[in-house]
Amino acid sequence: MKEAHHKADEKTYKFGMVIDLDKCTGCGACMVACMAENNLPFRKDNSDRLRSNLWMRVYKISNGRSFPDLDISFIPRPCQHCEGHGHHAATPCVSVCPATATDYSHETGIVSQVYTRCFGCRYCMAACPYHVRVFNWWDPTWPKGMSKYLNPDVSVRMRGVVEKCSFCYHRYQRAKNKAYAEERRELHEDEYQTACTQACPAGAITFGDLKNPEHKVYKLKKSPYAFRLLEKLGTNPKIYYVSTRDWVRKAGDVYLGKEGKDVTHA
Amino acid sequence: MKLDRRTFIELIVGFSAGAGGGFMATPVNWKLMDDMTIWSQELWPRYQLGGLKGSLPQQGKVTHADSVCNLCPGGCGITVRKVGDRATKIEGREGYPVNDGGICPLGAAGLQLLYGPWRIPSPLKRIGKRGSGNFEKISWDEAINEVVQKLGNLRQKGQSHTVACILGSDEGTVPRLFDRFLTAYGSPNFIRTASAEDTYELALGLMQGTTGSVGYDLERANFILSFGSGLIEGWGSPVRVIQAHSTWRSGDLKDRATVVQIEPRLSNTAAKADNWHPINPGTEAALALGLAHVIIKESLYNADFIGKHTFGFEDWSDSSGKTYMGFKRLVRTEYTPEAVAKITGLPAKKILTLARAFAKAKRPLAVWGRGKGTVSGSLYECMTVHALNALTGNINKPGGVSARPQVATRSWPEVERDATALSGSRRPRIDGAGSNRYPLTRYLPDRWSQVMNGGKAGAIQALLVHGADPYFTTLDSAAVAKAFDAIPFVVSFSTCLDETAYHADLILPNHHYLERWEDLPTPVGLQKPILGMLRPVVSPQFDTRHAGDVLMTIAKSMGGSVASAFPWDDYETLLKETMGDKWGSLEAAGYIVNEGYKPSAWSKAFGTPSGKFEFYITAFDQAGVKIGKDVGYLPHYEPVQPEGNPATYPLILIPTELMRLADGAVGNPPFCTKTLEETELKKNDLFVEVNPKTAADYGLSEGHHAMLETAKGKAKVLVHLFEGIMPGVIGIPKGLGHAAYDDYLAGKGVNANSLIGVVEDPVTGLSAAWGVRAKLTRV
Amino acid sequence: MDSASAPFDSALFPEGVKRCKFKWFLFWVAVLHGPIMVGVIGTLMCWGLALNVTYLNNNYPFGLWIAADLGIIALGGGAFFTGFLRYVVNIEELKNIVNYAVVIGVICYAAAQGILGIDIGQPLRGWFIFWHANVHSMLTEVAFCITCYFMVLCIEYLPLILENRQINKLGFFHGLAHHLHGAMPTIAAVGVFLSFFHQGSLGGVPGVLYGRPFAFREGFLVWPWTFFLAILSAIACGPCFTILVTWFTEKCAGKQLVKKNVIDILAKISGRLLVLYLILKILDTIVWVGLAKGVGAPFSSFYANQPYGYWVLITEIGILGIIPAMLLLSERVRRNEAGLIIACLLNCAGIFMNRWIIVVQTCAQPVMSFDKFVSYHPNWVEYATTLVFVWVGAVVIMLSYRYLPIFPQEKELNPL
Ligand SMILES: Nc1nc2c(c(=O)[nH]1)N[C@H]1C(S)=C(S)[C@@H](COP(=O)(O)OP(=O)(O)OC[C@H]3O[C@@H](n4cnc5c(=O)[nH]c(N)nc54)[C@H](O)[C@@H]3O)O[C@H]1N2
Ligand SMILES: Nc1nc2c(c(=O)[nH]1)N[C@H]1C(S)=C(S)[C@@H](COP(=O)(O)OP(=O)(O)OC[C@H]3O[C@@H](n4cnc5c(=O)[nH]c(N)nc54)[C@H](O)[C@@H]3O)O[C@H]1N2
Ligand code: SF4
Ligand code: SF4
Ligand code: SF4
Ligand code: SF4
Ligand code: SF4
Ligand SMILES: [Mo]
Repeated sequence: MKEAHHKADEKTYKFGMVIDLDKCTGCGACMVACMAENNLPFRKDNSDRLRSNLWMRVYKISNGRSFPDLDISFIPRPCQHCEGHGHHAATPCVSVCPATATDYSHETGIVSQVYTRCFGCRYCMAACPYHVRVFNWWDPTWPKGMSKYLNPDVSVRMRGVVEKCSFCYHRYQRAKNKAYAEERRELHEDEYQTACTQACPAGAITFGDLKNPEHKVYKLKKSPYAFRLLEKLGTNPKIYYVSTRDWVRKAGDVYLGKEGKDVTHA
Repeated sequence: MKLDRRTFIELIVGFSAGAGGGFMATPVNWKLMDDMTIWSQELWPRYQLGGLKGSLPQQGKVTHADSVCNLCPGGCGITVRKVGDRATKIEGREGYPVNDGGICPLGAAGLQLLYGPWRIPSPLKRIGKRGSGNFEKISWDEAINEVVQKLGNLRQKGQSHTVACILGSDEGTVPRLFDRFLTAYGSPNFIRTASAEDTYELALGLMQGTTGSVGYDLERANFILSFGSGLIEGWGSPVRVIQAHSTWRSGDLKDRATVVQIEPRLSNTAAKADNWHPINPGTEAALALGLAHVIIKESLYNADFIGKHTFGFEDWSDSSGKTYMGFKRLVRTEYTPEAVAKITGLPAKKILTLARAFAKAKRPLAVWGRGKGTVSGSLYECMTVHALNALTGNINKPGGVSARPQVATRSWPEVERDATALSGSRRPRIDGAGSNRYPLTRYLPDRWSQVMNGGKAGAIQALLVHGADPYFTTLDSAAVAKAFDAIPFVVSFSTCLDETAYHADLILPNHHYLERWEDLPTPVGLQKPILGMLRPVVSPQFDTRHAGDVLMTIAKSMGGSVASAFPWDDYETLLKETMGDKWGSLEAAGYIVNEGYKPSAWSKAFGTPSGKFEFYITAFDQAGVKIGKDVGYLPHYEPVQPEGNPATYPLILIPTELMRLADGAVGNPPFCTKTLEETELKKNDLFVEVNPKTAADYGLSEGHHAMLETAKGKAKVLVHLFEGIMPGVIGIPKGLGHAAYDDYLAGKGVNANSLIGVVEDPVTGLSAAWGVRAKLTRV
Repeated sequence: MDSASAPFDSALFPEGVKRCKFKWFLFWVAVLHGPIMVGVIGTLMCWGLALNVTYLNNNYPFGLWIAADLGIIALGGGAFFTGFLRYVVNIEELKNIVNYAVVIGVICYAAAQGILGIDIGQPLRGWFIFWHANVHSMLTEVAFCITCYFMVLCIEYLPLILENRQINKLGFFHGLAHHLHGAMPTIAAVGVFLSFFHQGSLGGVPGVLYGRPFAFREGFLVWPWTFFLAILSAIACGPCFTILVTWFTEKCAGKQLVKKNVIDILAKISGRLLVLYLILKILDTIVWVGLAKGVGAPFSSFYANQPYGYWVLITEIGILGIIPAMLLLSERVRRNEAGLIIACLLNCAGIFMNRWIIVVQTCAQPVMSFDKFVSYHPNWVEYATTLVFVWVGAVVIMLSYRYLPIFPQEKELNPL
């Protein structure tokens, strides 16, 4: 599906998520929904996370205490679709890609990945502090018959290129095409939702336009319990998290968490 | 020119320089570069997709089809996105009364099961040794003939009672067809695989006089006290529970529901709870009684309910004047917080606080059923937890407990049984359920294999298995394997090559759940009547047939009264007839729900001999259950000793359940296996969870290989140090250790059921085992 | 020369020098082909079976290859810097070693590009870096400058080939060589310009990663200041590498090829630059500690995971920095063969260690508090494919030495 043509008076968005960690149960439905939606490959042995290909990864983090004081939280981590600001007016990964194979869209705020352009230098992976980007260490293959379920809206990636969460960009394209056909300029909140948001049984993920006061994310991100991962680095991510547990917020915000006495987790 | 050494060298040099420069000056090299790029993107032979070249999967018209998922007892509504005739995505169905748009990882990976290489392509007949995995394709006629022959012979020989069926459920038209088949054929041996429902049904039957299992109004409860239930891991209908959990977590902080998890291990459910109380495994009943003690002592119970609608709370005397101890006295004397603290390891102070918080909550709910509810458990333990719900009067109330209701469907005509059928079905069941020893129990799924191995090897001559994988899911795998070996004829109706199919003689593959019609009654744990309808979303991908049709064909081919018990043309006719006037709305909407359903008021709710909620079970005597001591009539704590000698096996092994790992009759699809943590599976080895203190005692560190041994078997495992598990306890995940399926699942880890044996509940005969004694040695 | 005992290929030798028997030459070339074949097999595995044959992973997108790349380019910096000193600063003596510096440079730069051809996941699309260039990317700058500078090096190498005794007899090539010689100061200046940029950009590759506090440095002009550190460290160690290779060549040839005073000039300049570099590097480290702390990354966290303990810092700056700098500053040490070689070895090892740190330790360093540290070590495929350029380089040197007039002082130092 191809993008409708740009107009000068293009409606712009800043899509992002607010993920409620109090609700997230670590069930993993978002991970599987993402894999199914975006034609992610799988292998007979996927147990090596360092080479596994997950666009959405749910981290299991702990407060580092001993039995029975241990506490655990789950942190679903799609691409943070960083915007960058201040000195770093550019997305960490986008600014380094030598072949312009990944780009920041000012129309949507989405950080794209063009697989057929990427030549696999992996510089973008080194640039991303969230371990979002994954490399195709193998040719993708499907057991006989399995390729039947592949989604034609998303191209299958070849080995040797980097990929990552696209905010299910093809869904935006579909929604936008539909809106254009109906001579609308603006998408409704529920018209464009990502696969992980839709799947989440806990309703922990809310997706929408962060700058549109009508959208749920607009209000949710203002929660006193909201935070972003590695806020201090200035990556300016578009994924907000909400947790009422102090240690969780600190774990997300503070690099390495060993900064000083204000950090409770080990 | 004379070609001497010098000119030769000159020529070589000149030619090389010329050729190199010349080539670089032509567009040929650029063209080649471009071609190679395209080749690397499009024509690279490795990712030719189903005959299509390139990286673009086939396009087509996009449509959506609604159906229901039956990969677990959840029964969620699903919407399948199709492109042309291909199903490309499964999503939760918006507005469906179980899951309203949500889905679980297993459900979302369902298409891998539909299109996977583990599908059984056609009827298969075993050729090699059993378990060798060698099968040959045969036609449906041959396959059905074979069953008809074998079953016909047995029936002729008067051995109809040696035929057994094992199913995953006894509700809905297909399980009922199997039951009906056995009735007409002449066997009492319909067996349902184990679940917490087995025990809950009995507990509710005894205490409330109701039939059927439990329904919880989780959504409206505001204090949830779970006794080891894996609410998040997949208890009942996991998507529904997770949605309820989000309800508990919504609204203002101060209005939020409180969740307390009692469990020796920090499971996902425990991690999501407001409070996690690890107690010594197997002492849940003692804790429930300790809480009851505080509630009673401090008069925090619902006096109205207790006073008017219960029996056996206070001491009472029968007509002869004999006095019996009531629940109150038992609890007051035996289960002081101090005594309970000693048993459970939970400090008395915490017991006090917890009891008060629970009893003072607006709509408190005590939940029972270990883990995902895949083991039956102890009857008394279930009763003690249910007694807490009675103390707060939270029965048949919003946010409370009630019996799980069903949508009524049309009944079928009585089976006209011939003499063989009559005598056959009156024979004792091979598992002993319903016998004098276990008069209350309907099925003893963990016991039939023990009986066979205990000297009755010939008890089952033919076994039909549908919608279950008993070879994999039954406790004490070695005993099950041995019993299977003794059955001369095993028929599987499985759609995938599961363990049972792998060890069967004949496989009559059913349509996949996305290829067939089937009704799905109210899912486990729900408190409102729901009837869902599976419908064919895609046409059958292989030469498979609906199990209902196959069974009816078999019955009809057997002739006589067996045939006449099945007057329907085919399964679809039967389904429509059974649904009656509901068919129209079922076909159109895909489900029926009675949102306004209210369970009966207290005055009419209890079908016990006393007509009240019974703390003192009078039904025991009526049913002829032999209860030795007085206390046996009351919910009380009776430790279930795990198997094994403490001297040899100093540690306790408990099975753990993971949301991302299917451990029932459905094998884990690759997408789900891919989501397992690196501390759960590494290559083909699973990790057991060990507290660092315990690990230190045995010289084990993170990632070490260890030998895990129990009285039932041993297995090489990897060690994961986890502060969330009680010292002295080891956790082993359920759902790995398949030999069947294929390399995406087979050979990974060990089956936890192979290490855990059955511990019989003295009253029900069901397995009450919650773990096993074990030892762990470094290798 | 007695033509009867002269080697079979003696007609190709430079005028007035002695070379070993052809069969010996062939023997050594053949011996080197052993490890070369292993490297070729590794390369074919990477291309044919994809990069899963390495130990690289998503946490270590960069490993030995990229570290080696940065190291090799820095070592090859001897070429442009010697050229700069010879043609721009006009240090006349250096004409006696600049040829060899160019040969070493060609080898290093070819190696760097060859390694990248194996490292990238889609080598057939490697040219997208030029075609779809992103001007903001340090790697784009690197790619353009390295490629251009490699061409410059080839042009600098070309006259040496043309001066082969036989080729030079052809009028056209003789003339070409002559003209190229004349243009050499201009070419060298262009090379210096390009080289400054790519040496710097390579330093900027990790320096711009503001998501990685371990690597990130604030900007100076349009570059992070690691840009300038990288240039400085390259010119401080490149000459030492030239000295090392020359020394090793002399040992193999069994004769002196370059006069001591020429070597000493290089060593002295190297030592002084190294001191300057170290001062700035230490300043950099101090500023960096504050910078990282500002984003919540305490200094200690960078050295909390073995094998990357504090020893890394001490070794890099102390043992492989301050010590060789001191040695190189001392005339006594420089005059002593063993002392000079040890100093050069330490200096070159220091640059490699620095490049490993800025590339691999950067990847190793967890950024999110819940990230787990995992260690990485290269596997045989990575080693073999990296080292193959050493073996190929040796063959190129053997060929160049045998047939091309690289060492102008050889005849004078070794009269026949
Ligand atoms: N080798 C080869 N090359 C071709 C063709 C061919 O047949 N073979 N066909 C040519 C033709 S006709 C066309 S139209 C083009 C199509 O070429 P492209 O449009 O480059 O390729 P696609 O893979 O179809 O689509 C780009 C992918 O980027 C993803 N994406 C993710 N995020 C973003 C984002 O933020 N923005 C954008 N823009 N995309 C995002 C989309 O989901 C989609 O999967 O290819 C041309 N090139
Ligand atoms: N699944 C999926 N489908 C897609 C797309 C996608 O992204 N995913 N992208 C869509 C887009 S953007 C496009 S443009 C279309 C392209 O779709 P098509 O137009 O179908 O493109 P091709 O398959 O590249 O080429 C069609 C045929 O033209 C033949 N051909 C080549 N040269 C000539 C010629 O000179 N003369 C004649 N007569 N025939 C020639 C080729 O051999 C081939 O058989 O695909 C669309 N379909
Ligand atoms: S689907 Fe929702 S609840 Fe489950 S892990 Fe993802 S975000 Fe958490
Ligand atoms: S999270 Fe990583 S990949 Fe995503 S935009 Fe930020 S830097 Fe890029
Ligand atoms: S790996 Fe691909 S996307 Fe990443 S920097 Fe290199 S070319 Fe760009
Ligand atoms: S937004 Fe889409 S691509 Fe990103 S993680 Fe969610 S499902 Fe995957
Ligand atoms: S919870 Fe059960 S029924 Fe619901 S989607 Fe998951 S597997 Fe299917
Ligand atoms: Mo196109």
